[in-house]
Amino acid sequence: MVTAAQVAYDVGWGILHYIIFYPPLYQLIIIPGLIAALVVVIFIIWFERKAAARVQMRYGPWEISPRTGGATQLIADLIRYTFQEIIVPRTVDFMSYIIAPNAAVIFSILPLVAVPMTSVSQYWPIPMDFSLLIAVALSTLSPIFVVMMSWASNNKFAVVGGVRESFIIVAYELIAVISLLAVVPLVSTFNLVDIVQVQMGGRWLGLLNPIALLDAFIAVIMSTSAFPFEIPDSESELVAGPYTEYSGLMYGLNMGAGYIRRWTLSVLITLVFLGGWAPYRPGPGVVAGYLVPSLIVVAKAVVVMAIMSFLRSVYGRYRLDQALSLAWEVLIPMAIAAFGISIAETYFGVIP
Amino acid sequence: MHVPAKPSPKEVPRATFLGRAVAGNLGALAVGVKYFFDPNRITLLYPHEYIKLRQGYRGYIVLIFDKCISCASCARICPARAMKMVSINVFDKKLKKYMKKKYPVINYNRCIFCGFCVDVCPTEALYHVPYHDLVYNSMADMVLTLEDFQKEPEFVTAKEGVPVTYIYDEKKGLVKVHYEEEGGEVQKAEGGQASAATEAQGEQAQGGGG
Repeated sequence: MVTAAQVAYDVGWGILHYIIFYPPLYQLIIIPGLIAALVVVIFIIWFERKAAARVQMRYGPWEISPRTGGATQLIADLIRYTFQEIIVPRTVDFMSYIIAPNAAVIFSILPLVAVPMTSVSQYWPIPMDFSLLIAVALSTLSPIFVVMMSWASNNKFAVVGGVRESFIIVAYELIAVISLLAVVPLVSTFNLVDIVQVQMGGRWLGLLNPIALLDAFIAVIMSTSAFPFEIPDSESELVAGPYTEYSGLMYGLNMGAGYIRRWTLSVLITLVFLGGWAPYRPGPGVVAGYLVPSLIVVAKAVVVMAIMSFLRSVYGRYRLDQALSLAWEVLIPMAIAAFGISIAETYFGVIP
Repeated sequence: MHVPAKPSPKEVPRATFLGRAVAGNLGALAVGVKYFFDPNRITLLYPHEYIKLRQGYRGYIVLIFDKCISCASCARICPARAMKMVSINVFDKKLKKYMKKKYPVINYNRCIFCGFCVDVCPTEALYHVPYHDLVYNSMADMVLTLEDFQKEPEFVTAKEGVPVTYIYDEKKGLVKVHYEEEGGEVQKAEGGQASAATEAQGEQAQGGGG
């Protein structure tokens, strides 16, 4: 005897378990993928503007809803970007002009498929044996499309911005890779789940190896052209850098790609250095085993991202040569030193 | 308020790399965090707040009809030629008959709010109102008639806005405060003579300005 209620229940259970909580879909689309990233990015842009305004003796977004501090301003901006006309200039290389922003967004969100949100192996999107390596490798793909869109734009400001971007890419990529992989000798695994399990007792790798955390933090700031490294799209010199010829939703995609990239790398930093879902031990079931740890990771990553955004209110912008000299002369030796610290801690047996 | 004649720069150990990093980055971050938790916002949210200006501010000009002796000094001294004399028939009380007299009217298209007319007036028949944010619908409206010139213009901002003023705080620098916080003390301290004091202040400001 099959009743309608039972069929509805089964269909609902199936949708919940095989579509919503199907790990690749869940991680790419829901948490920490597109939807969570969109919500977080809207919050972070609002926070960035309000924090910069507070420090700089202004109010920031206020007029649109004074009680919430202008929080709905960003939603209004999103709607405006969505319905704005997309103007494609006649001189651009059309295919790469259209493909580059979309590819930048997709590739900046792609590393999330390699990060685990729980220690329950049923809910891993891919086998986790070399997940740190895969995530770091995937995270280095999206900046290429920024250079590509600057070349496709066929505009002098865009080309200058793209050249600066490529300088910065060469500078920070090595720092990001070395400092994120500096924890590997310490835990002697590439498995992100094992890395989080090691930190379960409160010994976060960010505390054991703070130089690697600092380096990875600065590398993420450089890679997403946040202050003080907002060099490729410096508004006062180049109109919008590589994004000069873009308008409407395409510009929104470009701007969002940077923030989504920052979000992805914040999640990665959270897992590697700040313990992931650390004090919480995932239990059985979808909610206790998948939803709650992913929300914990999201909360930690939001804090990391808020600190990155706060720097906007304090710093000015470095010149290109200053940023490059900082990267090559200070940060890369620091990254190698962090690697050495990990090896030394392994030698003295800090982690049993 | 203690302002040193020569600001003496603090000695910061910036010779070494570590000193530079600490003094530059951590100092800036500390200042940023301090302002983040204790903000000092000085932006004027204009329609919701307005700066309460002092008596003696050279705002819009109003004529006191009965004090005017038609000497035309105001029209003669006006550097922008905004003030003009118009002839009207008025009833003279001493001579008990109607006669033509000249009275000033103003054209705010031309007026530069220099206040010379107020300063030069021998009988103080002209005075400033301490506000200047006013909207006219057309340029023709800005050429006032004699009747309009005798009325104080309506101060629309004060109906909805909150009066604020900027004072110098020794710790935080320039801060924005509500006007009552500062003006209330003056009212209490001076008592009944507050109006006289403000008048004297106004005269002083005018003298200094002229």
